[in-house]
Amino acid sequence: MIFNPLYYADVRVEDRFSTTVRIFNGMLQEAKVRTETRAFLRVFDGEMWYYASTTDLSRVQETLDELYAIAKPNEHIAHHPVVKNFQRNRDTLSVFAGSSVRDISLEEKREFLASLLPLLAADPCMAMPAGVYLDRNSLYTFTSSLGAEIRFDYQTCGVVLSCDMVEGEKKFSASWQKGATRYKELKGLEQEIAAEMAEQVAFMKRSVPVVPGEYPVVLSPQAAGVFAHESFGHKSESDFMLSDESMKAEWAIGKEVGSPILSIAEYGEILGSGYVPYDDEGTKARKNYLIKDGKLAGRLHSVLTATVLEEEPTGNARAKDCTFEPIVRMTNTYIEPGDCTFEELLAPIKKGYYIKSINHGSGMSTFTIAPDVAYEIVDGKLGSPVQISVVTGNVFETLGLIDGLSKELTMLSFVTGGCGKMEQHPLPVGFGGPYVRVSRMKVQ
Amino acid sequence: MEKELLTTTTGSVTLNVTAGKIDSYRRKDETQNTVRVYEDGKIGVAGSLGDADWEALTAAAVEALSNGITYPCNLEANQGELDTSCGILSGEEFLPAMQRLLDRITAECPRFGISNKIQLARFTTTYQNSKGASLKASDAYLLLSLVFQNKGAGNLYDCAYGAQLRAYDEDAVVADCKKLHDAFYTDVDIEAGEYPVLCGFFDVLGSAIQHLVAEMYVSGASLFSGKLGQQVANAAFSLYDDRDPRTNPGSCFFDDEGQVAPDYRQPIIKNGVLTNLLVTKNTAAMFGLPPAATSGAAYDGVPSLTLSGFRMDQTHASVAELTKGKSILVLIASGGDMTPDGHYATPVQLAYLVEDGEIKGRLPELNIAGDFFDLIGDRYLGSAPNTLLPSMRDSFMACKMQVTK
Repeated sequence: MIFNPLYYADVRVEDRFSTTVRIFNGMLQEAKVRTETRAFLRVFDGEMWYYASTTDLSRVQETLDELYAIAKPNEHIAHHPVVKNFQRNRDTLSVFAGSSVRDISLEEKREFLASLLPLLAADPCMAMPAGVYLDRNSLYTFTSSLGAEIRFDYQTCGVVLSCDMVEGEKKFSASWQKGATRYKELKGLEQEIAAEMAEQVAFMKRSVPVVPGEYPVVLSPQAAGVFAHESFGHKSESDFMLSDESMKAEWAIGKEVGSPILSIAEYGEILGSGYVPYDDEGTKARKNYLIKDGKLAGRLHSVLTATVLEEEPTGNARAKDCTFEPIVRMTNTYIEPGDCTFEELLAPIKKGYYIKSINHGSGMSTFTIAPDVAYEIVDGKLGSPVQISVVTGNVFETLGLIDGLSKELTMLSFVTGGCGKMEQHPLPVGFGGPYVRVSRMKVQ
Repeated sequence: MEKELLTTTTGSVTLNVTAGKIDSYRRKDETQNTVRVYEDGKIGVAGSLGDADWEALTAAAVEALSNGITYPCNLEANQGELDTSCGILSGEEFLPAMQRLLDRITAECPRFGISNKIQLARFTTTYQNSKGASLKASDAYLLLSLVFQNKGAGNLYDCAYGAQLRAYDEDAVVADCKKLHDAFYTDVDIEAGEYPVLCGFFDVLGSAIQHLVAEMYVSGASLFSGKLGQQVANAAFSLYDDRDPRTNPGSCFFDDEGQVAPDYRQPIIKNGVLTNLLVTKNTAAMFGLPPAATSGAAYDGVPSLTLSGFRMDQTHASVAELTKGKSILVLIASGGDMTPDGHYATPVQLAYLVEDGEIKGRLPELNIAGDFFDLIGDRYLGSAPNTLLPSMRDSFMACKMQVTK
């Protein structure tokens, strides 16, 4: 690669291998292996960024030269504060070399998925069993005009099982998902799947609509992770601060934003769907506290946002793939654990709800969580299953109402869905937490 | 052996906006190629990026037949070409024209911080098959996706302007942004109760779409199960998947299996009667359901489902005629969902009060709720052209919903 010294430039290349196997109602619907190689190029002249992508790696230099041609030459580009803030890492990480899903045959993956599907026929109410096996192995290279040269790999694999459950007028769409980083982690899960499906059958048969109101709520690690991601994680993405000069004062580090027992952290080096050892502009991952003991402790940055806001890059500049530029995104976001057991969290609740699994969540000034499986809590014990459309609340009020955290941290990985931000969706992320008790949430 | 060939070439220039200024330029050009072959009730698929080597792709598709994926071969010989890629803005004038637009919006909306994306995009898709089908669609459009922050409020975003346009009218865009801005800073309120709610079908009731998918319908878990051919909605309610690029810029008039809906719009519910479900040729054949032009496909994948965008039959000439008195215009409603028995609820993060067809001001955050079949049944009021913010969406639907604070 020949870089022109009158500009900053970097080139990111992803060699992505992926497998999709889908079996529906006993019939194979998809069995494919895809290999794509794409490059994304960035040129910065001190005023504007210029981007292009290509699927033809023989055209990378030509594409780079085309971007140079539309940018303005800048003799002082090396002294630009943004350029000075770029890291110049040189590293090679090969975490999955001995366990790549590239080395496992399509036939093996197909047979494995088929072996799980009888678990979706355990009860007469189960219909239309569907199974999807997905994997991805990516080899990234990053090269910059400042001398950065990074190679690392990324891998996820997993299974999604779903079926419809119907009994008379009662209906439920059941699902189970396991995301992992190594194929062998997907084996031996039959008992877990069977138990999960049996619970969802019971939910379909016995659940009753919730009586809307405000109640104490206990969130599972999955629900707590989504809550952390949606309610506060997005607010920590500092690119939203660039269009309003008053933001830095509004979001001053040290400001009280939640309960004193609450700490939310973000870290790209945790293996899973949010594994990002180097971000898409070559910044090394580091652990970042967003909230520490209830106070605003930090935020997520690209090099650009860190420079503008006079803070440090955090390793959170990420792109959905090599057709988009990196923007500020989360990696692995989680609530740090506390000192209670799950039973101790339930004990003081006379009437409340436990959110076990969720369908989706979102967060602006008001957050929402749409539960799948939920239970009432009566006199400190779990009770009957309940149907809840959404759980909502004001973000900051709710962060202040967290009054109990369990001891263990559970991190979750996924092979479907992901985080959406404007045009870039889905981006793989991880999230998790302990069980979290909130003294009051609006349930409907 | 029967065969289908598809090619889609896309190109776009995307500008990033920060604080009302364009700070990046992204160019993307990509070609995707697909070959599908059919033999003995099986399908084989192969795809590639860039220049196509059709011989190699065909050989790969033939090899993929050995996967044993059952799929009906039901090719049609449809013919047609539709080129709606008229010039919106040339490449040279695009960037300066957009900065001029942003400067005007900044001046008219001084309390908004403006960010996000503007895109000029084009595509050409061709479909051919061994039965002689030949279809070609080309379109170009301007996508304006602007996010507004209420300066000093500390929020991710507070308001938004979105439009996918073929005809660009700078004055109309500026006027609608100013309407959004001025109403945002005019506080109004209402009592809790039942009100007409103005929205797009997908914006508020998108969670109902899965119930129209063939697999869920047949399983019995869909709210619509067993109701094909029956009255499921108000007689004034008709819902289409709109593939007409003249009303839905950026859409392709045929689906990925070469099917063309009447008038390029696939009816789903017609005059309140459920006429079609979302099917591929495979699921239509498997379950004995009527065919529908709702197939999509990854360039290297077996056909699945896609939707281009919903359109409803318009029942009124204007919002003023559709909703007399006070109504609620939903602009941002994120996080809602429906229980399995059809109870729908969502918080509304941004809503404006509309009175006799005029926007009056911003309401506090609300919750809206209702039973799905009521909302498209007795409580459905109709659909009208967007006379409130005409440069944004094409039309609104209205239904009466329970509103709480």
